[in-house]
Amino acid sequence: MEILTQVFTISLIAAILRTTAPILLVALGGAFTTKAGIFNIGLEGQMLMGAFFGVLGSMWTGSALGGLVFGVTASVLMAVIFSVFVVTLRANEVVVGLALNIMAGGLTISLTKAIFGVRGSIVNPAIVGMPRIHVPLIHDIRPLGQILSGYTPLVYTAFALVFLVWVILFRTRLGLYIRVTGEKPEAAQSLGIRTARMQHIASLICGVLAGAAGVHLSLGYIVMFAENMSSGRGFMAVAVLIFSGGDPVKVLLGCLLFGFADAASLRLQTMGVSSYLVLMVPFVVSVSALFLLSWRQRPKIIRETLQHLTAPVVAKGQGS
Amino acid sequence: MAADIAADFAIEMIGITKRFGPLTANRDVSFAVRKGEIHALVGENGAGKTTLMNVLFGMHLPDSGQIKVNGAQVEITSPQVAIGLGLGMVHQHFKLVPSLTVAENIFLGMEIVRGGLIDSASQVAAVRALSASSGLAVDPTRVVRDLSVGSEQRVEILKVLARGARIVILDEPTAVLTPQEGRDLFRTLRGFTDQGMTVILISHHLDEVLEVSDTVTVLRDGAVIGTEPAKGLTEARLAQMMVGRPVDFGRKRRDGTAGAPVLTLTRIHARDDRGLPALMDVSLTVHAGEIVAIAGVDGNGQTELAEVVAGLRGPSYGRMNLNGRDIAGAPADIVRGAGLAHVPADRLVRGVDVQASIMSNILMGRQDSSAFSKGGMIRWGRVRAEAAALIKRFDIRTQGPDASVKSLSGGNMQKVVLAREFSQGKQFLLIDQPTRGVDIGATEGIHDEIMRRRAEGVAILLISVQLDECMKLADRLLVMFQGCLVAELDPKTVTVNEIGLHMMGASHNRKASA
Repeated sequence: MEILTQVFTISLIAAILRTTAPILLVALGGAFTTKAGIFNIGLEGQMLMGAFFGVLGSMWTGSALGGLVFGVTASVLMAVIFSVFVVTLRANEVVVGLALNIMAGGLTISLTKAIFGVRGSIVNPAIVGMPRIHVPLIHDIRPLGQILSGYTPLVYTAFALVFLVWVILFRTRLGLYIRVTGEKPEAAQSLGIRTARMQHIASLICGVLAGAAGVHLSLGYIVMFAENMSSGRGFMAVAVLIFSGGDPVKVLLGCLLFGFADAASLRLQTMGVSSYLVLMVPFVVSVSALFLLSWRQRPKIIRETLQHLTAPVVAKGQGS
Repeated sequence: MAADIAADFAIEMIGITKRFGPLTANRDVSFAVRKGEIHALVGENGAGKTTLMNVLFGMHLPDSGQIKVNGAQVEITSPQVAIGLGLGMVHQHFKLVPSLTVAENIFLGMEIVRGGLIDSASQVAAVRALSASSGLAVDPTRVVRDLSVGSEQRVEILKVLARGARIVILDEPTAVLTPQEGRDLFRTLRGFTDQGMTVILISHHLDEVLEVSDTVTVLRDGAVIGTEPAKGLTEARLAQMMVGRPVDFGRKRRDGTAGAPVLTLTRIHARDDRGLPALMDVSLTVHAGEIVAIAGVDGNGQTELAEVVAGLRGPSYGRMNLNGRDIAGAPADIVRGAGLAHVPADRLVRGVDVQASIMSNILMGRQDSSAFSKGGMIRWGRVRAEAAALIKRFDIRTQGPDASVKSLSGGNMQKVVLAREFSQGKQFLLIDQPTRGVDIGATEGIHDEIMRRRAEGVAILLISVQLDECMKLADRLLVMFQGCLVAELDPKTVTVNEIGLHMMGASHNRKASA
């Protein structure tokens, strides 16, 4: 009980928002591919490339913005490879996605070795991290300032994007075409909508957001790159996308759940709970969430009784 | 015949030939449609109707021949070009997006955009106006998923009109409609031609072709057999032009009387996949040597009824008895063991494995019987002999038992299913949509096979959305509406109109309020 009260504090809320941001960014990117009918399992790899090249760009240009540009570019390149294979060449999306994930893991490790001559992680004072934004007025009001102020720009961007992505998907022509492409491609094609182009566009947007998510990991709160830094967040995003269907509001809710699990596990770690157990928390949460959702949607075997049958059976007003 | 001056034609297709590899789908076809007429294009499956219309609509390029629209020669290289020329096509399988509203579907690809956002209010208003002027009633704000098939079709037609079509092509428009809905559609089409528009109707319902069209063109084996005014043509003459020989249309002659009950359903209730009531209080009996037909508009519980009877869906309440055995909720193999043979509605889903050979398909379900297996090994020699015998008996047009089912036409695939199910000496036959997508010639053969089983004393439950089929074959006709059996009719005396009313639930509401 004592542990629980220590875990649930104002600073935990701030931590949740912080840890939610990268999953949210990458999942909102995945919302585009999901809606366009692509099962994009390559999010993890795109994020990892974003994280690595974010660090590289930040060192080379000496600015966090340069890092963002580099990271996003690298991730977009991954997205281009993905969509050329999947959309143009009609390769299996799971195979291509997995291959790119494995490639990203290997590439970042070997480049770390080749460029920095080290293994494991890149820690360097030349890496410029993201600035924190102190929202005027609110910043000094407690506890509001603690919750709403002091994040990096990407955190604010992530949450603002929930609304923006919703508008794009449901109120603009591009979004409509992307949705139709995923839902009923033959209908779209018969009306002259180029579904392949829509899928390429969706994949590119996804690449941008996945790259930003990666940059957030390496230049956000921890300013460094570590091997396999994305540590399954791309897969969590895939899980969120599967049960949200790419709907931005549901994506937000799903990501908050994972953000919570992430933040809580960090918290538990500082309290001396075994780190091996703690690292399992996000995945236990994801498996449980999937289980609960499918349990709720399981086909129900209904047995009617005579009482049901003598009463009006359906709202349509038919007696038996 | 059609030798007026050229300017009077909306469409002229001259000497069209279209080949797909070794197959010639259209052979030197010349086809002309006068402005302001309803022109029916009829022919069996595979006669080349759809190919011809796909050429006209720019989905296929012809190998030779030319096309004129309103007297001017044109090159139709894509559907967009066709739409630009004022052509519109309503496909048999609707191309609507279920999650979008009616207005969104109609404006898909030509949205009204204001300030970067889609202006749905303007779209809704435009659809309202179009709906009023064309007489096609729809609610533009409804989501298409919730619409009836008839409304979906109206949306498809509005979609075509919204793109400025003056020449409308409809591919098998009445296949999914009740007789009454069909008549409404024809009234609408007649309204179109009154406004100077032109309608091309692809159909194989001969009665409606004669009823609604001004001119009929018959295709057979990719070539035009003739173009004649509908006035003066008879169904028998049309069918003969289509098939190339006289076709029997009358009710099948029958002898013998029904025997003991074979299948009994008592107060069966069942839920659909979403858990909603799909069957309510269905009770029926099928006797030996009797055909009981279930008529009704698609989606009124027929699918669930077939699944419940076949052991593919457990009833939520009620009793079922087949040959004296209680089969309620029993799995398919038990039900089959009790005497069921099943011809499923969608042969591609449950009837055959298209990748497998004919003989593998013939074997399916009997792989454990001692006739075809020994010590866990399949006796392929016997299977091959059985398949060869059935190919002969059922007149399946194929290269042999080893040919894959994929290589067969729809009618021959259906014959493979019939051959397997009819040859096992079962006492009860569940036949669901036996002639869906099967041409007239093959339909006749299938109907004869069904009548032969009846004469052998097999009890038959026939589910069909084709009224003429029900009336032709059935001894008793039951009508299904919203999961209930609402009427039992005598097919010898009942009129199509009367059945249509029951199919729309007219009698049911009366009964419910009584």
